[in-house]
Amino acid sequence: MPHNRKKSRRPSQDPIEASVPAPFLLEPSLAANLDEISRRIGDSPDIVIRHLRNEALAPLALAFIYIDGLVNADAVNQTVLQPLMDKETQGGEGHSAETAFRQVKDHLLPVGSVKESTTLEVLLNLLFEGYTLILFEGLQAALAADTAGWEKRSINEPTSQGVIRGPKEGFTENLRTGTAMLRRRLKTPDLRIEEYRIGQRTGTGIALIYLKGLASEQVLAEIRRRLEAINTDAILESNYIEEFIQDGGLTPFPTIQNTERPDAMAGGILEGQIGIIIDGTPFALLAPSTFFNFFQSSEDYYQRYDISSFLRLIRYSAFFVSMLLPALYIAVTTFHQEMLPTTLLISLAAQREGVPLPAFAEALLMELTFDVLREAGVRMPRTIGPAISIVGALVLGQAAVSAGLVSAAMVIVVSFTAISNFVIPSLAIANSIRLIRFVMMIIAATLGLFGIMSFLMVLLIHMAGLRSFGVPYLSPVAPMVPRYLKDIFIRVPLWNMNMRPKTYLGKETRRQTPDQKPQPSEGTELPSPAQPQPQGEGSA
Amino acid sequence: MNTPRRLLRLLLCLPLLAPLLSGCWDDRELNELGITSGSAYDWEDNQWKATYQVINPSSGSSGMGGSGGGSTSSPPFLTFTVKGKTIMEAIERTNLTSTREMFFSHSRITVIGKSLAMHGINQLIDMFLRKQDARETVFVFLSEGDAGNILDQLMQMTKNQGAGIQLMIEQESKLLSYYPGIRLYELAMALSSESRSAVLPEILLTGPQTMDETSEIGVTDLPSRLALGRLGVIKGDTFAGWLSQQQAFGLSFLTDTVDSATIAFASRPSVSDKLDASFILQNSTTTVRPVWAKDHYVIDVDVEGAGVLTELGSVMDLNDRKAIREMEESLEQRVLELMKGSWAEVKSLGADVTGFAVRIHRSDPKRWKQIEQEKSWDRLFQELEIRPHVSLKIERTGLSNKSFKSVQQE
Repeated sequence: MPHNRKKSRRPSQDPIEASVPAPFLLEPSLAANLDEISRRIGDSPDIVIRHLRNEALAPLALAFIYIDGLVNADAVNQTVLQPLMDKETQGGEGHSAETAFRQVKDHLLPVGSVKESTTLEVLLNLLFEGYTLILFEGLQAALAADTAGWEKRSINEPTSQGVIRGPKEGFTENLRTGTAMLRRRLKTPDLRIEEYRIGQRTGTGIALIYLKGLASEQVLAEIRRRLEAINTDAILESNYIEEFIQDGGLTPFPTIQNTERPDAMAGGILEGQIGIIIDGTPFALLAPSTFFNFFQSSEDYYQRYDISSFLRLIRYSAFFVSMLLPALYIAVTTFHQEMLPTTLLISLAAQREGVPLPAFAEALLMELTFDVLREAGVRMPRTIGPAISIVGALVLGQAAVSAGLVSAAMVIVVSFTAISNFVIPSLAIANSIRLIRFVMMIIAATLGLFGIMSFLMVLLIHMAGLRSFGVPYLSPVAPMVPRYLKDIFIRVPLWNMNMRPKTYLGKETRRQTPDQKPQPSEGTELPSPAQPQPQGEGSA
Repeated sequence: MNTPRRLLRLLLCLPLLAPLLSGCWDDRELNELGITSGSAYDWEDNQWKATYQVINPSSGSSGMGGSGGGSTSSPPFLTFTVKGKTIMEAIERTNLTSTREMFFSHSRITVIGKSLAMHGINQLIDMFLRKQDARETVFVFLSEGDAGNILDQLMQMTKNQGAGIQLMIEQESKLLSYYPGIRLYELAMALSSESRSAVLPEILLTGPQTMDETSEIGVTDLPSRLALGRLGVIKGDTFAGWLSQQQAFGLSFLTDTVDSATIAFASRPSVSDKLDASFILQNSTTTVRPVWAKDHYVIDVDVEGAGVLTELGSVMDLNDRKAIREMEESLEQRVLELMKGSWAEVKSLGADVTGFAVRIHRSDPKRWKQIEQEKSWDRLFQELEIRPHVSLKIERTGLSNKSFKSVQQE
């Protein structure tokens, strides 16, 4: 079979699979179990093992284990330690280990979640999640009480997707905080959260969030299948998941959105998208996503529709400027000089006098310089931030022009391109344009406008062929569904947006009752002070 | 089995590289171009003498980039003159003298010397229509003397002389309508039409000497300026004669090229013939209708127009409808005279620059076919009669209903 050929070439023994030991069932001896645990997790100072003997409760010894730093110390003291050590505690009849176990599990632990297991692997996983394990002498089962509570960042304003008007809270690194934030926004029983644990070594918690009935079942099944197929040792950030599950590996365009904003995610989920929150990163994912999703900002819905529509059109033009401007400049100045207005041509020609590099090299130099500056700005310590702008603006902008290395027009082109790039609300697509821009420049330098047109066509064809979990990337423009264009290039008023976009959904769903356009109702119209109402009408 | 297939795939990819290699052949950096803003052609010693005006970008004050800096003392353009048996040979010879490749796409004007106009301009038009980077939208002018001298003259208020002349003729045809600006394709169309005639405005130097040094434009009043003069008539492809400005103005009415124009006229022809009032014609249309009158054509020319009275030097009460009517009649008379004067000159030159042949062809194709076969158009043109009729309206008279003179006399 042709499909298996690639697989068979791989080494059959996966190093990750080899390191996973066989399940270990608990033994009756407490000491043996503790030994095995110590052998597994080593002897770190943050692992606390405590032996305990309470005659009133159980005839034999018991022990509890937790990891300092992952648990809330107060909770351990109050909910595990205190009840177990209390002399007043009544044991079960006969004082067997079995009854003590039942007694502890059902009566003694004032904890929300208590789990019971017989395999060490399950228990160890719980231990790493902040549970406190309670082991009994002479029993082949153990309890795990939820005492999790680790240091976490408080909820802050999102840094990468700021808004002027709108909620100022962003996801944090904590998975549970993230799901809670969504629950708070979507108070409906239809909200479903499925949890996965992916990564052999990181065991990262991943939550799949969707609205039942709104999210397409096929897409959901596909995402589940792809998530389950991930077999890797570490998931540290949402991009790990993104790369493993997104379609079209060989495309510069992202097919999954990421967002730091719970409100943006709630909005997506309400349109039938499926959210994925990954423990350990404030960036959550939304899929399936079309090209136009990346130009919608959550603020579009928090301000008037006319200004939102205007801003959205600006974003689309910024997209084209950011992708094409340097390429157009190169193409027009080296191939199509006849297209420029004469006065502009003369002033451009005057600037190019004495510039030693061809236009393409000039543009490449400046674009690379900008990318270096930008990268430096991100990596640099905040305290020396202003230095980069001085270096960028004065040294590289002004000095390069007066030194005759680059022309002034090129500086304008590069800066306008760069600023346009920042207008695009999604960093994911802004970054992909950054790359396309360089390809565009090379093509413009070799083939001129003709090349730019052909490459644009190639890009368009590529995008039209792209799918995100089965949803065409350019929908609803290609394939064209005119009635779903209400939220694509412009944003129509909310009272006109009655339908959810069908693109994500199995079936089209009504968002709200139609005809909600605000109008003064018949009876409530107040008489205007300037024009008193005719008297005859009131009496009749 | 795997290797040959992969090799085949690679081989298939090779042609894809071809467009990448072929693309760069005609790329030119801006600082390799000699941007010409105007060209002039003369006929001298049985050779083409071409003069090109090449813009000197670094003289512009905007050019702060580069090592050259903005030295304002260098002239905004340079000219050089080359000779050749053909025009292209002359152009090619520029490469012997110039550091830059000539780039014609931004040319604005072409000046044809009278020497060349006498010789014939067909070859020039052919070159313009054929050459890739030549623009057919350049404005064409005639020059009495050496056309190259025109391009040497510096202009005030503009650095790019070619663009300046273009602006001049555009302003003129918009505001004065003495003669239309003729672009090269219009010239070609007129010469290839049934009329086989065209007009070209004359460009001349008002002073005796060309102002071609930058230090000389540091004065407010140049001793020599570029100006538009008469209207040259081309018949076939050679020069036929001149029309004066007044005759050219009349021709504008005959050919419906009046946009807006100022006409001076006598406000009370019954009292005096003195031209003491002005009228701005704001819109005017001319309809030309040829009528066959047994053995020759009579052309009905109807001019209709309306405008504003802007100047009045006699004692008059404008509330009086009769006074307005009188003025209108005086105006109409004046335009009639212009047209008749123009027609007389055109007829004597024998060049159908009025485009009547085209009208006749359109209104009566059958007879035109016959005229063409008999080659009798030149004779018919001489027998042609025009029946001009003018109707002008004074629509507004400004704020005051009385002339200031009459206010004073009260």
